[in-house]
Amino acid sequence: MADPVNGAAVGDEMEEEQDNPTGGVTYLCGDCGSDNLIKAKDPIQCRQCGYRIMYKKRTKRLIQFEAR
Amino acid sequence: MVKRLRHAMGTTALNMHERMDGLLYALVHPQKPMVTTRVLDLVHFDQVPGGQNASIAVMSYSGYDIEDAIVLNRGSLDRGFGRCMVFRKHQAPIRKYPNGTQDKIVGKVRASEFPRGEDDPRWPRYKALDEDGICRVGARLDPGTIMVNKHSPASTSGSGPVSSDFASTPLSYKAPAESYVDKVVLTANENEDYLIKILLRQTRRPEVGDKFSSRHGQKGVCGIIVPQEDMPFADSGICPDLIMNPHGFPSRMTVGKMVELVAGKAGVLHGHQAYGTAFGEEHGSADRVHLCCQALVERGYSYVGKDMLTSGTGGEPLMNYIFAGPVFYQKLKHMVMDKMHARARGPRAVLTRQPTEGRSRDGGLRLGEMERDCLIGYGASALIMERLMISSDAFTANVCQGCGLLGYSGWCQNCRSPEKMADIRLPYACKLLFQELQSMNIVPRLKLQDF
Repeated sequence: MADPVNGAAVGDEMEEEQDNPTGGVTYLCGDCGSDNLIKAKDPIQCRQCGYRIMYKKRTKRLIQFEAR
Repeated sequence: MVKRLRHAMGTTALNMHERMDGLLYALVHPQKPMVTTRVLDLVHFDQVPGGQNASIAVMSYSGYDIEDAIVLNRGSLDRGFGRCMVFRKHQAPIRKYPNGTQDKIVGKVRASEFPRGEDDPRWPRYKALDEDGICRVGARLDPGTIMVNKHSPASTSGSGPVSSDFASTPLSYKAPAESYVDKVVLTANENEDYLIKILLRQTRRPEVGDKFSSRHGQKGVCGIIVPQEDMPFADSGICPDLIMNPHGFPSRMTVGKMVELVAGKAGVLHGHQAYGTAFGEEHGSADRVHLCCQALVERGYSYVGKDMLTSGTGGEPLMNYIFAGPVFYQKLKHMVMDKMHARARGPRAVLTRQPTEGRSRDGGLRLGEMERDCLIGYGASALIMERLMISSDAFTANVCQGCGLLGYSGWCQNCRSPEKMADIRLPYACKLLFQELQSMNIVPRLKLQDF
């Protein structure tokens, strides 16, 4: 992948609506529907019911559609 | 009809949007047909409809409607006629390998990681990725965008010290047009491997070359899309969604379509769903043509279902009465976007070095035997050379003029001599044939001549 940029540019986090500052993304359990924060190395399993199918939530970012 | 129904798109099941089908075609605005039949009632077709009631005019228009082609009204397309969604599933397994290594997904890639930031040409591929290295739900995917930023270990077999090298093996999006991410599912498969399933959605409006069909096997591709202002219109302002060429009727004898049109028109005018079943006994419930015709007359329409239309281009009344009314049309899932293909340069097969075959492999278009026969008939030898060798698998071989066998560059291993070697151009497949014959103990010898 690409080279990291020189020190100056790294700091600005322009577009982020960070879901969670600690990393990880929230998923919906396919069975009980509860929110689950799953990080990179976590097992894919619901903390409430143990179900192993998780749905990703829709992004909160603006999406434009071309209406034609 | 059954065959067409199978190719039609519409509602596959009431839970179709909960499912993760490999490929799913869905009509955006399906309608229940204006003319129903006993079988359709039995299968509750009203609840899982697969088509739309198009207002059609049976007439010739523009010359782009010959050979079963149909003319579509652009206004109708804007209002949603024939609009469909294509859902396609992609999946990326996260494998565990025998040497204990495992695929990994590399999280969020930021524009600031690239030398030129957002202007960097490498950045747009990573645009759709989220913190977890999987595309965001709802994100727009342009061709080439990465859906899952997966990295696989460099060595996956054996034991002992495992190198920590990873190679990028992303799941990326390849298609002629953009899609949107509809659903992302994380799950596990039988071998306890994690599996990422991604459902992509594409919304398509009909275009020239898309295939439509009525329920009578009267299929046709769209030949032209005409602005609504150029379409013919009736005094009441009604304008057809679709124009069908009358030449489709005589040889095919699809009387049912005409009956559907008349019954549907009568039903529309009286505000009920017509019943077009084949079992039209005297005591049965089916609508009968002469009663439908009378119903038309009651509403001030012509007995035969023909209307007076005005030309949309010239503004004068059309010189014939036009058979027009509603017919249930289905969109078939053969769409040009899934079929279009062209190639200038591209991949070649390893064995023969000829261009690959088929659209999925970005293959070439074959100049077949019969086309070759035509070229021979014309004596177009230069064209044959170009198509069959230069643009295909031309190869420079070294031939020994002494023994007539293939040699290395400037050396004949058969004669143990560098003399009498010559370069010739021939198709690689031809050279391959010679070598295969040699391997079967048949010796093809080449005799060279100045030409």
